[in-house]
Amino acid sequence: MQVSVESGEGLERKLTIQVPAETVEKEVDSRLNSMRSRVKIDGFRPGKVPLSVVKKQYGTSVLQEVMGEVMQNTLRDAVIQESLNPAGTPAIEPTSMEPGKPLEYIATFEVYPEIELTDCASIEVERTTAEVVDSDVDTMIDTLLKQRTTYETVDRASKDADQMTINFDGSIDGEQFEGGQADSVPVVIGSNSMIPGFEEELVGKSADEEFSFDVNFPDDYHAENLKGKKATFVTKVITVAEPKKPEVDEEFAKSFGVDDGSIETLKSDIRANMERELRNKLQEVLKKEVLDKLLDANDVLIPKALINQEAENLQKQMMDAGQLQAGMSLPKELFEGEAKRRVGLGLVIGEVVKKAEIRPEADKVTAKIDDIAQTYEDPSEVINHYNSNPQLKQGIEALIMEEMVVDWIVDQAKVTDSAKSFHDLMNPETQQPA
Amino acid sequence: MMQQERILQVLLAPHISEKSTLVADASGTHVFKVHTSATKTEIKQAVEQLFEVKVAQVRVLNVKGKTKRFGQRMGKRSDWRKAYVKLAEGQDIAFAGAN
Repeated sequence: MQVSVESGEGLERKLTIQVPAETVEKEVDSRLNSMRSRVKIDGFRPGKVPLSVVKKQYGTSVLQEVMGEVMQNTLRDAVIQESLNPAGTPAIEPTSMEPGKPLEYIATFEVYPEIELTDCASIEVERTTAEVVDSDVDTMIDTLLKQRTTYETVDRASKDADQMTINFDGSIDGEQFEGGQADSVPVVIGSNSMIPGFEEELVGKSADEEFSFDVNFPDDYHAENLKGKKATFVTKVITVAEPKKPEVDEEFAKSFGVDDGSIETLKSDIRANMERELRNKLQEVLKKEVLDKLLDANDVLIPKALINQEAENLQKQMMDAGQLQAGMSLPKELFEGEAKRRVGLGLVIGEVVKKAEIRPEADKVTAKIDDIAQTYEDPSEVINHYNSNPQLKQGIEALIMEEMVVDWIVDQAKVTDSAKSFHDLMNPETQQPA
Repeated sequence: MMQQERILQVLLAPHISEKSTLVADASGTHVFKVHTSATKTEIKQAVEQLFEVKVAQVRVLNVKGKTKRFGQRMGKRSDWRKAYVKLAEGQDIAFAGAN
């Protein structure tokens, strides 16, 4: 077997491989020989078919088969021999396939880039730090209180923050318009759920009072036909109710699952919860920061085949996620940027893992599972679930690996701390689970 | 000289069997299924012309068709004639893959 390597553009490699004819022929003959005992040809007793007849009958197809296999095998050997690391499937183009002549073909593929890790010490990482302080806990309790606010009907004129139940009938120039009529609508004054000016008109009214007033629809109102129009609302107040915030007391604590009803326990529970969320958030922020910097620092040539593959995967995931109507398809190009980032990161992280000899440590995995389990009602069940499900556990292990990579880089990199408050850190993304 | 039309009618098919490959390998003899009325000379000429080879010897025999029962009725396959055609030294017929 003769192999010659040509470097193409970037990561492309061209292998020209020549296999001597005998190798192929020997293989063909041995195949035909083993076929002899099995084939059935008219005019011959089974197993008594001469080799020459079998060859005439099946020679070409066997030859094709053998050539295909020989190509694969020799390509594999050649790749090992030349110590290449192919990424993606090689494109094989035979140049000479005639029987009796040496088999020659060209395989073109891309190789994984050789990654020279930039010294991690040169990476500058900004680490965000934050702490849960008492006022954060108080804010949280306040939010919880607000969520539990109840309204109690009172017999007095309404004022700010009251909830009123009203009927209203709106018209423009004496004509009713769509969506302008409603019965028994709860409106909280100051909640800005109605068009500007509406809620203000309700202040100081009491139950059973009937009145009408004019309000201008804002110019940027969503309904075209109502924009900037002046509407008259005939309104009847049914009830006026004042908000009642629950007290921070035993009952309140109990409603959050604190059995002994102690407010201190509730506070410490909330604090523990917030701290866990904060920790995860900080970890997430740090991870993103480190990985971004790592990718910036290491300029890697990324094989196109891998990017393509990743982009296809992303595309498929997106489709499977059902975010598209059937029959629609997103162009693959959309995903190329993201795919490039992912593949690049994968390569660099792989290299870091190799260099730093990072392996998931069993106790760290257990600790992580414990940590996750804490958010559930029955932690032991969750732990069991993870332990009995290797796939889930592998996911956790991968997570640990990532964290360890991040730690390893942080250890070496220049780290500057930047403190942020709990509120600032958590709030821009309250929608996302930390 | 035999007519061209007749030449094309004489040879029906090459006969492939264990024996035919054996004699082909041993003595360059090719076996054909031929028209029942074909003579040695006709076969020789037909083979020489159609395959462009030199024929050394032709031997022929008649093969009786097998009798086959079809339910109550007896049936009989047609009789046919087989020819062993020995080619001159150094000659060969290459059937184009099909046999």
